[in-house]
Amino acid sequence: MYQYTEHDRSFLKERVAEFREQTERRLRNELGEDEYKQLRLRNGLYLQRKAYMLRVAIPYGLLSSAQLKKLGHIARVYDKDYGHITTRQNIQYNWPQLEEVPQILEELADVDMHAIQTSGNCIRNTTTDPLAGAIADEIEDPRPWCELIRQWSTLHPEFNWLPRKFKIAVTGALSDRAAVQVHDIGLRLVKNTVGETGFEVLVGGGLGRTPYIGQVINEFLPTQHLLTYLSAILRVYNLEGRRDNLYKARIKILVNALGIDAFRDKVDAQWQHCNDIDDTFTQTQIDELKAMFPAAPTLGTVILRNASDDTPETPEVNQPDQMFSNPLFNQWYQSNTRAHRDSGRRIVYVSLKAPGQPAGDITADQMESLAALADQYSLGEIRTTHEQNLVLAHVPVNALFDLWKALGGLKLATPNLGKLTDMIVCPGLDYCSLANAGTLQIYDQIYKHFDNLDYMHELGDISIKISGCMNACGHHHVGDIGILGVDKGGVEWYQLTIGGHAGNAASLGQRLGRAIAKSEVASAIELILKAYIELREPYESFHESVQRLGTTPFKESVYATAA
Amino acid sequence: MPLLRNGQWVKQNPWIRLEDDEPLPQSNKAEVPVVCSLERYIALENQHQHLVSGIWLNAADDVLQLHDHVDHLQLVVVDFAVYTDGRGYSQARMLRTQLQFSGELRASGDIRPDQMLFMARAGIDSFEFSEQPDEKLIERILFRFTTNYQPSYALPIAG
Repeated sequence: MYQYTEHDRSFLKERVAEFREQTERRLRNELGEDEYKQLRLRNGLYLQRKAYMLRVAIPYGLLSSAQLKKLGHIARVYDKDYGHITTRQNIQYNWPQLEEVPQILEELADVDMHAIQTSGNCIRNTTTDPLAGAIADEIEDPRPWCELIRQWSTLHPEFNWLPRKFKIAVTGALSDRAAVQVHDIGLRLVKNTVGETGFEVLVGGGLGRTPYIGQVINEFLPTQHLLTYLSAILRVYNLEGRRDNLYKARIKILVNALGIDAFRDKVDAQWQHCNDIDDTFTQTQIDELKAMFPAAPTLGTVILRNASDDTPETPEVNQPDQMFSNPLFNQWYQSNTRAHRDSGRRIVYVSLKAPGQPAGDITADQMESLAALADQYSLGEIRTTHEQNLVLAHVPVNALFDLWKALGGLKLATPNLGKLTDMIVCPGLDYCSLANAGTLQIYDQIYKHFDNLDYMHELGDISIKISGCMNACGHHHVGDIGILGVDKGGVEWYQLTIGGHAGNAASLGQRLGRAIAKSEVASAIELILKAYIELREPYESFHESVQRLGTTPFKESVYATAA
Repeated sequence: MPLLRNGQWVKQNPWIRLEDDEPLPQSNKAEVPVVCSLERYIALENQHQHLVSGIWLNAADDVLQLHDHVDHLQLVVVDFAVYTDGRGYSQARMLRTQLQFSGELRASGDIRPDQMLFMARAGIDSFEFSEQPDEKLIERILFRFTTNYQPSYALPIAG
C-alpha cells in the first residue's frame, strides 16, 4: 500500500495543529459556529442529533493492520467501544467529545491517517473496488490512481468550496464493484484497440433525491491526462453548478440541465488550458505509486518453479482438504470467500452483519483482533467495502479453516455475504439529523424475520438497501429491494422499490406502491420474495426476474394480501 | 479598509470601487484610481475609451472575456459575496494560469482568515478586509504549512 513520505507526515501534523487552533478559537468564542462548521466539516466532524460524529477517511478502503489497530484503540479510548463502516468505505465514530477531536486526529496522524475532506462541499474520499489487486478480472490495479487522486484533491486550492460534495470512484476490473455509474465522476480503466490503457470517464451519476445513472463524457482518456481532465470537469462544475438550491447543486443536475454533449464541450474548452503544474503529474510519480502496490507473492501451484529458486516450500502442499468435510465451513467458504487470481490464495469477506449487531458496526475488540488476523493471514492489510463489510484479500487457501474458526470466535464469520441479511443501512433517525425515519429497527426486524440460513441460501444473492431519508446514504435506489424511510405526520413509513442494481449495468429501482407501515416491512419483503421464488426461472437472479416480469406480480403479491 | 498586499500591511489603498450607476471620473480630474465592473470595462474598451485600469469581478463573471485585455489591467478584484461560494478561486486561477495575468489580484468582500491560504494558492496576492483582522492569526494561517500536495502558485505573500 501507499507509504507515507516525510512530506505527507509533516503536512498531516500541520493540518492537525491548524484544526487544534481552530477548535480552541471556537471554544474561546473567537470563531462563530457557522464559520467553524465549515472548517470542522472539512476535518470530518459533523454535529449529529445527539452528539458530534467524526468520520475518518480510509483512502480507497485500504487499511494496514497497524491502522486498524489504532482505529480500535480510538473506539475504546474516545468513543463507546465501536465504530461504523460507511458506504464510502470510511469509518465513523458517533460519540467523540469536541475537545478531544484534535487529540484523536493527532493519534490518527501517528498511523498516517486523517479525516480530511470526509465531509463538506469538496472532493471526498475516492472509493474503489475492494478486491483490487486480488481479483482475476482486473485490467490494472486502480489503487495507484486513487492515491494520485487523493493527493491531488487534498486541500486543492481551487476545489475546496464547490456547490456541493463531490465523489469519485475508480474501478480497474471488468466487473464493477465500485458503483462507478452512480458517482459524480466514475472512472473505469480500459484498453483501447491498440492495447493502451486509459480511462472511460463517466459523469453526473448519483443517488439522493434525484437519482441519475452517470453518462460517458470521454470513452478513452489516456492515463497521463487524468488530473487535467478531472480539473476541467471540476472547474466547469465549480463555475456553473447551481448554488441557489442545496438539492439541485450536485453535478448531475448541471450535466442533465445542459445535456451531456454541451457539458462535454464546456469541459473540452477548459481542458485545452488545464496544464497547471498543480493538475499534472510525471511518469515517475505514477510509476513510484504503482511500485507501492505490488502483487501478493504467488502461492499457487500453477507457477512452475525453477529448482534453484530459493522460494520456501509452497504451503499448499499441505493443504488440509479435510476442512471441506465441515458443512458449516463449506457454507461460509461458498458464501464469504471468492477466487483470488492466485490459486494458492482466497479472498475472504468479513461480514459485519452478524445477528444482533447493527449493520456495519465493528467493536474495538473486533478491530484489534482482526488486525492481528490480517498480520497472520493476509499480508497485514484489510479493506473496507461500500456494502459495509471488510475484506482480507490474500488469505492462503490452507489457512482458511483456521481463519474461519478465529473469525467465528469474533462473531465475524456470519455466512451471509451478498445474502438477504447483508443489508446496507444508513444510520437513520437514531443518529442522523437529516433522517425522517429509523433504519436500525427495520434492519433488526428483517434480520429476525428471515433468521433462517437455509431459506436465505435458497434465495441466493439478494441486496436490501435501507435509507432513512431522500439523501439515500443507504443507496436504496440500487438495491434489489430498496427501503426508503418517509415521515408522514410524525409517523415513520417505508417506501419500497424493487429492481435496482449497482453492478455493471446499473439501474434504479421502481416504486412498488404506497408506503408500508413500520411493523409490516419484513412481512412485505417476505411477500415480494415469495413471488420471486414462485416465478423465477432456474438460476435467475432477483434483478433478472424483475427485468423480465416487471413490478406487477410483486406489487400484487404485497398489496393484494395487505388489502 | 485594511489591505494586506504581497505580505505587507498597506496603509494607503487608493483604489475606489465604482458601482455601475456611479459616473466615471472626468478626464484629468480624477484624484483616485477606480475599479469598475467587468461589464462596464469591456464596454469602455470596446469604445476605445481606456479610462480605467482596474476591475472588480462578480462570482458569475466569465474571466475569459478579459482575454484581450489582461495586459492593460493593473488590478483585478475578486469579490466574494459569501465566503462559501468558491467561484472566485476558479476565476483567480484562470486569470493567473490561462490568461497569465501578472498584476495585482485582490480578494475583497466576505474574506475569512482561514480561507486566505487557499486564496493565496489560487493566485490571489492581496486581501482587502472590511475590518481589521488579527494580524498574528493571519500570519500563522498563511505560513503554517511547509508543504502542499499541489506544488502550486508560488505563495506570493511570502515575498
